[in-house]
Amino acid sequence: AGTSAKPSDYIYFDRSTDGFSEEILPRAKGAQMKLEHYYKVAVDAAIERNQRRVELERRLQGDHTISEERKQRQLQQLGKKESTFLRLRRTKLGLSDFRTVKVIGKGAFGEVRLVQKTDSGKVYAMKLLNKEAMLQKDQLAHVRAERDVLAESVSDWIVQLYYSFQDPIYLYLVMEFLPGGDLMTMLIKYDTFSEDVTRFYMAECVLAIEAVHQLGFIHRDIKPDNILIDKDGHVKLSDFGLSTGFHKQHDSNYYQRLLESANGQSTNGAQASRNSVMVNPINLTMTNEQIQTWKANRRKLAYSTVGTPDYIAPEIFQQKGYGKECDWWSLGAIAFECLVGYPPFCSESTHDTYQKIIQWQYHLAFPDDVHLSRQAEDLVRRLITSADRRLNVQEIKKHSFFYGVDWTTLRSIEAPFVPMLRSLTDTSYFPVNELEQVPEDAPAVAGDAAKDLAFLGYTFKRFSNILSCILE
Amino acid sequence: QQQPPPPQKALYLCSPFVEAALVKGNFKTIVMLPKYVDIMEWVAVNRFFDFYTNLNEFYGVLTEFCTQQNCPTMSAGATLNYTWINQDRKHVHLPAPTYIDYVMTWVQNMLDDDNVFPTKSGQDFPPSFPSTVKHIYRQLLRVFAHIYHAHYAQILHLRSEPHFNSPLRALPRLRQRV
Ligand SMILES: Nc1ncnc2c1ncn2[C@@H]1O[C@H](COP(=O)(O)OP(=O)(O)OP(=O)(O)O)[C@@H](O)[C@H]1O
Repeated sequence: AGTSAKPSDYIYFDRSTDGFSEEILPRAKGAQMKLEHYYKVAVDAAIERNQRRVELERRLQGDHTISEERKQRQLQQLGKKESTFLRLRRTKLGLSDFRTVKVIGKGAFGEVRLVQKTDSGKVYAMKLLNKEAMLQKDQLAHVRAERDVLAESVSDWIVQLYYSFQDPIYLYLVMEFLPGGDLMTMLIKYDTFSEDVTRFYMAECVLAIEAVHQLGFIHRDIKPDNILIDKDGHVKLSDFGLSTGFHKQHDSNYYQRLLESANGQSTNGAQASRNSVMVNPINLTMTNEQIQTWKANRRKLAYSTVGTPDYIAPEIFQQKGYGKECDWWSLGAIAFECLVGYPPFCSESTHDTYQKIIQWQYHLAFPDDVHLSRQAEDLVRRLITSADRRLNVQEIKKHSFFYGVDWTTLRSIEAPFVPMLRSLTDTSYFPVNELEQVPEDAPAVAGDAAKDLAFLGYTFKRFSNILSCILE
Repeated sequence: QQQPPPPQKALYLCSPFVEAALVKGNFKTIVMLPKYVDIMEWVAVNRFFDFYTNLNEFYGVLTEFCTQQNCPTMSAGATLNYTWINQDRKHVHLPAPTYIDYVMTWVQNMLDDDNVFPTKSGQDFPPSFPSTVKHIYRQLLRVFAHIYHAHYAQILHLRSEPHFNSPLRALPRLRQRV
């Protein structure tokens, strides 16, 4: 290499940034990344635009039932849509384009609001993510890659993201609003579900998780708070990638450190040396009272940045690496909770939960006072098991607990609970009273370059949404 | 102290820097007017909005070098100095950073002006759009020209030449005019 003839004007230039100010390097890097991102997006957009045109042209060509004139009109119409899309790129969407109706949820890095777009009156859920807090929690690694996939995915099982934008303080995700609330709220309200109702929700979750996997993703954070209910009572997964999946600490190192520090705390010197194997006894059984306390605290746990580990598979916080099987473990834990009333490893402290999950063999127990069918218990046991023995999606669908489920029509059957909504902005399925009022919008302070960089490529508008707006 | 002799050709026209760009292959993919698409809309986004944004981004990095002292004139060649036309329609010489600041502010204001660059749906481009656009174009290219002339070495030190070349590469015809 390097021996090929160089052009006569080839220059050897000694690069050096000696004497440049300290700020300039990160700034240059920032500009470089923005430009690289810009060109990547530009090329992708050009390819997609081209595909849309070629597809339409081909379809029209093969269709002999419509006149040449109508074909031309359709092509012109596509051009119009594409032009409108281009115009939207120049249109800066911002907070001021949306009116907040109510705060409907709280996540680890900010709240979720029901909003209305001022010009169209359309209703959306808007999730705010505090950049600073996310940076501190090292939650950026996943942002870009996952956003890219989410932006392209259209699935009935995944909450649709329409727009995202940012200001110096927050990232804003504007998503489809699911008026039925979430499964956590439902579980708080109903305590347990019958096996039939559980079958419905779990079967829908199977298809939803499968959809996530088919997009090449592992959710890693499936829990009742992320299972949302649409206006017809059917399920969609949120928090996938962008919305929340990425912000929880799923890095194995993180869990490792957490476990170590938790161990360290309860290990005071003398005791540690005497009993070096297991110094930290786990509360084996939960009393009824303790379970009630757990339930009372459930929502608070959902709002904390640490989140609840109750549904996380053991391989995630061991240094072993993990695959999509981990999502099926979570499903098992949720199924258990639907049937029993609390998740299988619930404990008084997060640390105990971690320990119990790692030693699940000793701690998975079905309470005597709850009657479960053999099939239900078997399903849970085949999901809450070591990764290599866990059922895969095909096996789950064939499991006897799901006997009679028609996997192809599930989403179109009548759901067991259909939300009764009085208006487009009805929030009766959300704990709006518990959530404090919307805080004053924080004044925009100048962000520093590094911080903004981390959120590069965040601003996003969805083509299909724009198309649907135009078509209306 | 001996200065090395200046290269025959401007650095930015020399190999390998002149070839450096972010898009491998044909820039036409991203700059050609797509079939059936409104040319005004295309020009507004592709040639102005993006071009301006990318240029602004880069000029922001170079402000530390492009100072009143280093660049007392808006130069783009040994004998080429651009002048700004002030309110009295007089040609005035301005330091490059001042000149560029005027240009960028002026363009930003146009881009933000719905009467020049309409953003609402259904709103048409004004009849004067093509001439406005030419105007803006000329000024933006001057900014590019100055950077190429006065700051190319710094761009190389920052290893940014592919990034800096790309916006111009995307405009092959205009490149020759610089
Ligand atoms: N698209 C939506 N439509 C309706 N409600 C939503 C939507 N997205 C989120 N919510 C509500 O807001 C709550 C918090 O949202 P979400 O779970 O996405 O936040 P988070 O920041 O990811 O926190 P966590 O990971 O702890 O759940 C949800 O449990 C749900 O009640």
